[in-house]
Amino acid sequence: MLLVENLFKTYRRNVDVVKVLSGVNLTVEDGEFLSIVGASGSGKSTLLHLMGTLDTPDSGAIYLDGRRIDQLSNTQRDILRNRTFGYVFQFYHLLPELSAYENVLMPAFIRESTLGWLKTRRQWRKRADELFERVGLSHRKTHKPREMSGGEMQRAAIARSLLQNPRVLLADEPTGNLDARNGDQIVQLLRNLNKDDGVSIVMVTHNLDIVTATDRVVKLVGGRVAEEPAALHFTPRLLSAVG
Amino acid sequence: MYKLILCMRYLRTRYLAFVCIVSVMLGVATLIVVNSVMSGFSNKLRDRLHGVLSDVILDTDNFAGFREPPDEIAKRILASPAGSHIEVMAPTVEVVATIQFQFRGMNVVKPVKLTGVNADVQSKVGGFGQFISGQKHLAVPSFDLSPEALRRFARNIEENAGLDEMMRDKAALDAEKPSESDFLGKGPRIQMPLDVPVNIPAPDLPQFEAPKPIGIFVGHSLAHFRYKNPETGLTEEIAALKPGDSVLVATLAADEMRPVWGTFVVADYFKSDMSEYDSQFVYMSLADLQRLRRMGDRVSHLQIKLKDVTPKSFTFVKANVTDEIQKLFRPYEVRAATWEEHQGPLLAAIDVERGILNLLLFMIVGVAGFSILAIFTMIVSEKIRDIGIMKSLGASSRGVMGIFVWYAVLLGFVGCSLGTVLGLGITYNINAIEKGITVLTGAELFPRDIYYFDKIPTNVESLTVILVNIGAMSIAIASSLIPAYRAARLRPIQALRFE
Repeated sequence: MLLVENLFKTYRRNVDVVKVLSGVNLTVEDGEFLSIVGASGSGKSTLLHLMGTLDTPDSGAIYLDGRRIDQLSNTQRDILRNRTFGYVFQFYHLLPELSAYENVLMPAFIRESTLGWLKTRRQWRKRADELFERVGLSHRKTHKPREMSGGEMQRAAIARSLLQNPRVLLADEPTGNLDARNGDQIVQLLRNLNKDDGVSIVMVTHNLDIVTATDRVVKLVGGRVAEEPAALHFTPRLLSAVG
Repeated sequence: MYKLILCMRYLRTRYLAFVCIVSVMLGVATLIVVNSVMSGFSNKLRDRLHGVLSDVILDTDNFAGFREPPDEIAKRILASPAGSHIEVMAPTVEVVATIQFQFRGMNVVKPVKLTGVNADVQSKVGGFGQFISGQKHLAVPSFDLSPEALRRFARNIEENAGLDEMMRDKAALDAEKPSESDFLGKGPRIQMPLDVPVNIPAPDLPQFEAPKPIGIFVGHSLAHFRYKNPETGLTEEIAALKPGDSVLVATLAADEMRPVWGTFVVADYFKSDMSEYDSQFVYMSLADLQRLRRMGDRVSHLQIKLKDVTPKSFTFVKANVTDEIQKLFRPYEVRAATWEEHQGPLLAAIDVERGILNLLLFMIVGVAGFSILAIFTMIVSEKIRDIGIMKSLGASSRGVMGIFVWYAVLLGFVGCSLGTVLGLGITYNINAIEKGITVLTGAELFPRDIYYFDKIPTNVESLTVILVNIGAMSIAIASSLIPAYRAARLRPIQALRFE
């Protein structure tokens, strides 16, 4: 379970001060597919980054299975990001010099030493092959990112995020750069992964059309989770009812 | 593992890195070539300097020579602690003199160092026999004229017979003047006007009837004139003196202050390829020079050759040989010195020149280092988003820094390898390259009339090549540290958001 407690985050640039999060409280249950929505600048991506230890909060706490993760050492956070969290970004963020196959294997390259890789390379390659099969990209393994479409790159990114069977997959606007058809395919893929593998997924999106595939929707307003009693936790059914 | 993969991939795909490789390559190649050529020049010069000089030289400023006979001096030296290191000692007389001869109507006079040697002993000391042009095949060169030289000498006599007759008549008429006796019984007399100050007695040479012409060895450059042929542009030389030609050699007596001179015949050339020696040295028999100067059996120099097993380093020889010999004599009377001390200024100049050149060239490589710094800063800037991706996937800051440091190591390694191959290739083919450039441009890169070597000497020292490579690698790695550290300090989300 991922627990966010009273999280604050402010960005400062010279005299400009931007308060992004002003006391966020949130829980993500095991195996839950949660989407976070809100207007542009509401702090959705910032919350996701803090949850994934890509950034540090000004105050508050983040717990993963009861263990506080926002105050870990740099090395511990590196390990957490490598093995426990998976990331999917809006702009895919694949390394341009590597093939799709090498990009998917990158978490293993980071984890293993050269000697370690020589010992474990077969199992990692087998896992990568499985993931390529799952995301429907087996025919694109040797292609570089510049030779692939947006949808294909995002599927490669999803495969990369799943290489080490993460506990939590954090997706920041995964369909933001895709057309509607590709976007639907990606969301469906995420839904299937959530159902089949039980991976907890937290997805940030501004596209309300795709949140129907998720278990729960949370809205951020003014740097906080909206506290309307009846709408504290939006369900897709409710959302479609209120429009 | 990811560091290795990314380094190799960046090397193949980042063309900006090619500039780094070329910088390092050119710097390394230049340093290797320059050091090899300087070392070649230095070694050749040292060999030639040492080749002419013996290991240790004993000399005196007394123009009359050592007070003791050479045998006595040698006995004392052999009895000292230095004696165990000595193989052979050769006594010589070295004095300043002038040489005069006729060439194409010109009266040529040149200052020389006149050296009297015992050819047999001097050949054992070394630095003598191997430089006599026409007698390199002989174990002991001879001052006797060759048959061809004798023929030329006889021809010269015939041609100058009329002149000789005329000069004898003139001398006979002038009864007030003391008769000039030739040191030589026969041979063309070369008249020179005497302008002797009143308080110095007129020269009075012993009446000596030599049964045959007395041969001398003349420095090659003394006997030849070098010039650039305007038609071919090549450096050529013309012989002003040939074996069989007569010369007048004048110097000062040892017993009192007066000039002495004699007529001698060129027997052969002395060619050491060292312009300092070839343009100044004239060798003659020790006995003849002692007689000319009325020295008896005294000598002014003792050339000492050390045993082969004796270490030849300057420090060892100075401490165990020259200093020990010096203790046997008063320092103002006799001086014992190594060959390096005799040529100290020249050798020091070479070392200083090499040191300065290396410093300047390393500064150039340092400039290349700044270009690597700039290029790496650009590469890191290009890769900021990739750094964010890697950090989001769990790469540590140290690991990210390691990517760029290893990248610099790889670039440095490739640059150094190529530079070493290029440098060694140029060094080993430098004379062919020089010829090619001369043909292409028409300008002689290595003028033979300035440099006394026929070709550019080179000497590749393994230690120098290794040090150059280590230095270049260090500069490449050091230049990458700042950009790599900046890359490592980036926070993941900061890097991912970089535009």
